[in-house]
Amino acid sequence: MSVPVSQMVTVAGYIIRQKLNGRKRYPLVLMLEPLFRCNLACAGCGKIQYPAQILKKHLTVEQCLKAVDECGAPIVSIPGGEPLMYPDIDKLVQALVKRKKYIYLCTNAILLEEKLHLFSPSKYLTFSVHMDGLREDHDEAVCRDGVFDEAVGGIKAALARGFRVTTNTTLFDGASPLRMRQFFDEMMNLGVEGMMLSPGYSYSKAPDQEHFLRQARTNQLFHEMLSKASRRWKFNQSPLFLRFLMGKQDFECTPWGNPTFNMFGWQRPCYLLQEGYAASFQELMDTTPWENYGKKSGNEKCRDCMVHCGYEATAVDYTFSSLKGLAETVAVTLTGKL
Amino acid sequence: MTLEGWVPQINEYMSLSDVVEFAFDYRGNTTVVKGDGSEIVGYIFNRNVDTPEPFIQLFDEQGDGPFTIPYRDIVNIKFTGKDTAAGNSWKAWVERKEKERALRAAESGVDRLGRDPGPHGG
Repeated sequence: MSVPVSQMVTVAGYIIRQKLNGRKRYPLVLMLEPLFRCNLACAGCGKIQYPAQILKKHLTVEQCLKAVDECGAPIVSIPGGEPLMYPDIDKLVQALVKRKKYIYLCTNAILLEEKLHLFSPSKYLTFSVHMDGLREDHDEAVCRDGVFDEAVGGIKAALARGFRVTTNTTLFDGASPLRMRQFFDEMMNLGVEGMMLSPGYSYSKAPDQEHFLRQARTNQLFHEMLSKASRRWKFNQSPLFLRFLMGKQDFECTPWGNPTFNMFGWQRPCYLLQEGYAASFQELMDTTPWENYGKKSGNEKCRDCMVHCGYEATAVDYTFSSLKGLAETVAVTLTGKL
Repeated sequence: MTLEGWVPQINEYMSLSDVVEFAFDYRGNTTVVKGDGSEIVGYIFNRNVDTPEPFIQLFDEQGDGPFTIPYRDIVNIKFTGKDTAAGNSWKAWVERKEKERALRAAESGVDRLGRDPGPHGG
């Protein structure tokens, strides 16, 4: 585990407060999408298929901050689109740091080196660089040659200037466990703080429908990839979520754990499914039929989903729900044995 | 399969609600035909039937909005804009990469991909 102590303490304190207040459903990470525009068109992405007038639009900083305040989650993840193409990204980040929110700015890093001067290193700001594998695998996933090298350049530049940098990796069917293990070594050699992993989700609007992982394959792939994990590998996520991906732990989805806000409003029910929008965070929480989502619901769309935005919050909540959960997390963290 | 160009016939087999669902799922602009004969072109991003007055919401072609239109004001929705989700960019990309790799392999005499296929094939 590579999450800094101050961040762990903040998140733990937040969750304990939710539990003491008897709040059954609470957000952990706000997924804030200020724009859908991107400088890549990855085949696995269902986020950028919109008409031109939508791709040209973006939220204002005020709209973003209103959503952040409404939601109250201690962590704000800024995906997109490509957030470094958001014209006010510096102002947004500054305002979030001022609010002491832990920010994961999810970027393909093509523009990272060029835009670094807009930011100041802070324990609250992490550049989470999209890296789907070794050079050839990554370039294939993002449908453009040379992006891996550009991202590595961005990572090196950010690390050299004292920024927190992690990687985020989406795995699709056909991923090779051996090559992924080499990839983990390569990322740790670069000096990133930690890595985040998730299986891909089959967006109905993504061009590539054939390479998304089903549950059994997900378990198999992650088991082969993470068994006998190197002590050098650091993961910037709950170890219990990784165990869940390996098939060693069973969790149910908490779609409200990572609520999503974008120019359409608060997305129902989660970051991946788009079944409508609520005008406010409260309306999202109060009027979404949560019982219709997750594996137990029998909803076809949720059947094979094991994605971080549904299950990482579950894993974190489990850690703080009982002594058993806490003990399991501590044991895995200390031994490094997933 | 794309709905691009479709002009639905609202009848006993296809209700307006059905058409709204298709339009909500469509990743392109549509033309909303209203009862007063006027039309508005835009991207429908939301609809809500769980209210006393069901409605759709859209951003128009200029990106202005959101505009809220009650179902009762809508006569039909035409799928006039380009379907941005249609296409097979992944296949095109993979085919191109496969050709490049095959060419390289033929030149150097090594395996087709030169990569580890993993225990389940590549």
